[in-house]
Amino acid sequence: MPVSKQDQTKQRAVIVSGVRTPFVKAFAEFLPLDTIALGDAAVSALLKRTELPRRELDSIVWGGVILPSAAPNVGREIALDLGLPPSVEAMTCTRACASGLQAITLAVAAIERGEADVVIAGGSDSTSNAELKVPQKLVRALGPMMMGPNKGKATPRDMLGVLSQLMPITEILPRIPKIAERTTGELMGESAEKMAVRNEISRQAQDEFAARSHHRAAEAIASGRFRDEVAPVETPSGKWVHQDTIVRGDTSVEKLAKLRPVFNKNGSLTAGNSSPLTDGASAVLIMSEEKAKALGYTPLARFASWSYVGCDPADQLLMGPALAMPQALARAGYELSDMDLVDMHEAFAAQVLSVLSMLASDNFAKARLGRDKAVGEVDPAILNVHGGSVALGHPFGATGARMVTTVANELHLTGKAFALLGLCAAGGLGAAAVLENAEL
Amino acid sequence: MNDILLQLGKNPQARRLVKTLGLPLPIPQALARAKGPMEARPLHDYEIAVGGYAGPGESALIDVLAKTLTQAGATPLVVGDAHIPPAFLAHGDAWGRPPRGLLLDALPDKLRLDAMVFDATQITDTAGLRSLYEFFHPLVRSLRKCGRVVLLARPPGSARSPEVAGAQAAIEGFCRSLGKELGKTGTTVNVLFVEEAAEALIPGPLRFLLSKRSAFISGQPLHVSARALDDEGLAAFEPAFVRSLEGKVALVTGAARGIGKATAKLLADEGAHVVCLDRPADDELLSAVALEIGGTPLLADVSDPEAPALIAKTLREDHGGVDIVVHNAGITRDKTLARMSPEHWDQVFSINLQAIVRINDALIGDDGPLLDDGRVIVLSSIAGIAGNLGQTNYAATKAGVIGYVRRLADELEGRGVTVNAIAPGFIETRLTAAIPVMIREVGRRLSSLGQGGMPRDIGDAITFLATPASQGLTGNVLRVCGQSFVGS
Repeated sequence: MPVSKQDQTKQRAVIVSGVRTPFVKAFAEFLPLDTIALGDAAVSALLKRTELPRRELDSIVWGGVILPSAAPNVGREIALDLGLPPSVEAMTCTRACASGLQAITLAVAAIERGEADVVIAGGSDSTSNAELKVPQKLVRALGPMMMGPNKGKATPRDMLGVLSQLMPITEILPRIPKIAERTTGELMGESAEKMAVRNEISRQAQDEFAARSHHRAAEAIASGRFRDEVAPVETPSGKWVHQDTIVRGDTSVEKLAKLRPVFNKNGSLTAGNSSPLTDGASAVLIMSEEKAKALGYTPLARFASWSYVGCDPADQLLMGPALAMPQALARAGYELSDMDLVDMHEAFAAQVLSVLSMLASDNFAKARLGRDKAVGEVDPAILNVHGGSVALGHPFGATGARMVTTVANELHLTGKAFALLGLCAAGGLGAAAVLENAEL
Repeated sequence: MNDILLQLGKNPQARRLVKTLGLPLPIPQALARAKGPMEARPLHDYEIAVGGYAGPGESALIDVLAKTLTQAGATPLVVGDAHIPPAFLAHGDAWGRPPRGLLLDALPDKLRLDAMVFDATQITDTAGLRSLYEFFHPLVRSLRKCGRVVLLARPPGSARSPEVAGAQAAIEGFCRSLGKELGKTGTTVNVLFVEEAAEALIPGPLRFLLSKRSAFISGQPLHVSARALDDEGLAAFEPAFVRSLEGKVALVTGAARGIGKATAKLLADEGAHVVCLDRPADDELLSAVALEIGGTPLLADVSDPEAPALIAKTLREDHGGVDIVVHNAGITRDKTLARMSPEHWDQVFSINLQAIVRINDALIGDDGPLLDDGRVIVLSSIAGIAGNLGQTNYAATKAGVIGYVRRLADELEGRGVTVNAIAPGFIETRLTAAIPVMIREVGRRLSSLGQGGMPRDIGDAITFLATPASQGLTGNVLRVCGQSFVGS
């Protein structure tokens, strides 16, 4: 098979730094900031903190889920907003909740193929600024009259015809967007609720997991562990947001147990053990090893492998990581037991616990992975050591870059060698990556 | 074609009215049929009561049963006193379908079952048959409309003792009667007789009989054996369920309309390249079918002595062989024997039986295009089993097909080729639309399901028999008749 002349790995890419905005509950402090403005905030903070000479930057690779329809290439808008050299090219990708990790692995691949030396990759999302969608029925009815070949020549009869197409009026009112799977129509929480039943994840286990996530995140904030990773953001009204606003250090299993299920009256998923709608952005600076050395940066971590998988959204929508994580490990040539850290996106506590039970199951390994033995148990002590999306929040496109930043810093700070990342995403997608300490 | 009672039954108000007025109208249940090609999980979110594991003794079927149900998307509700067999726990864990226990003397209030599966292979004496009553009696009312019941038994013919044979043969009578009782709710009841060591071949037939693709099959026994598979093949048997006919070539005769057309479409849906054969006079219809499904039209009169050679040559040279052969072309020329002309007698024999034999000879012979692990499916009819007034010619050919298929299965099992017959009951086609109204109405209603079948029902059965998952079925005569009272 013919291969491109760029197929050989030219150089290793390393992660040098990462910065994010505080993660803020949707429809709150960040309401005036759309996804581009949030991206501007994260990237400008990253440039400021790393003091990267602007001329060194080759490109921006950005991830997002709710893209502004007027300017969907958010990456390029950020470059232009920040007055970066016009040569800083940019693209924007989407892979649901794995968009941020996708942007980063695209950047790593580009550097390793020799297409670029210095790239900023990350993602942002503003659920608060999701566009209300005008139903397609209205577009199809009005469009031909206003934009079609006979525009401006509509007779009153044509207009009446269009009006009659628009009845009943309720069908043409803008719709409130919701996180529903397009093919099944199921809300993501409903899918996760089913997973909790099918994998026998109790309410108690979910609440314990959620409480731990909050406690660890609160501890990380209090200890200053996030100081290097989170940059304060000034809102247009002049108010400063310094840190994550969703984390509840004072929560407890008892408090969480009092919450009512939200997706099913008899269910076990509550607002407390699910990730909330969140606004935020996160950016990572990636460069070739040589370039990092030449510019005097300390490499934190590098990618040993990554993997993206798909499964049937009508079955277990969010089980993707249970397939992707073993694949990423196999590609890197490691076992789960080699990992010093595991970081999983917490869409729902029930979803993480379901994936963990699959990884720990011999039966699952035999039937679904073609392995004789289970991938293994994940020690809670090394899992999401500074909390996860349930506590911190989940601005869809930003979560991947948040995880890479936290894990890369953790490897560097602790001198540990390997970390495994796992994310689930809408559409039945799963993503995983293995990071190595760049200094080992 | 229009079944008024079925239309009436779909209207809830009309249904209620008929019930309150106590009208003697047997309103049939509209059957739930599958849409689109075969799914990875045909039993998605089904709740299936599983019985037969209350007593001591380990059934050889537990593992394959547990795997088949959970992999197909169903949650097993295992009936028993204390323990759930470990196989259900293990496969339930693998596929995210943890089993639940079901205590018959403490059933949950709102129990609704999509299907019931009973493993009767452990019944070795006549006293043990009481377990049928103990399992079905309390649960049968909880079965949803268009539910499914499948019993698994061992073939009485190969039983260790006469008593075991009697116990296993009893299952069939039970199945046929339960089918008649539950037919008015659209429920089907069938039994799989599984030979020793053929357990690995259960998944395909079991999935099929539990799925919506068997909507018009009830009261039928099917024999599952490993005859058409060598030891090596049996050990490695892991058939695909989705798009399983990709890369296969299928020949369907009489493909211009009715059952043949429905079958050609369904085979194409599973990925097969379908060579659609019909008479030159039906060029327009046939070409339209072939075009729609991306197949190849082949114009030939099957009764033409030149046809077999032409078909064999086309399949060999243009398609590199044939995997699936569906002999669907058939005609009726009804007259009582005393009034039947010799032409009518000859025409029916020529098309319905001689053509099949001659074409198969050309396909199977030394350099014939039929490939190993192939499938031969021949259309018979319940008329061939029960006989019919005015159909001495037709019924003779269709009975001949049955004898022919059983023997041909022996010939071809060494090559992995399976040979089966399908015997349709009353199907709503051009053929049956021509029957006088009173006789037609009787034909429709005299069955457990109380209605005629659709061409698609036959097509679904043929398509299942064409898939790799049906490797355990050969020499079977599968009646797709809604458990017609005729000939059963």
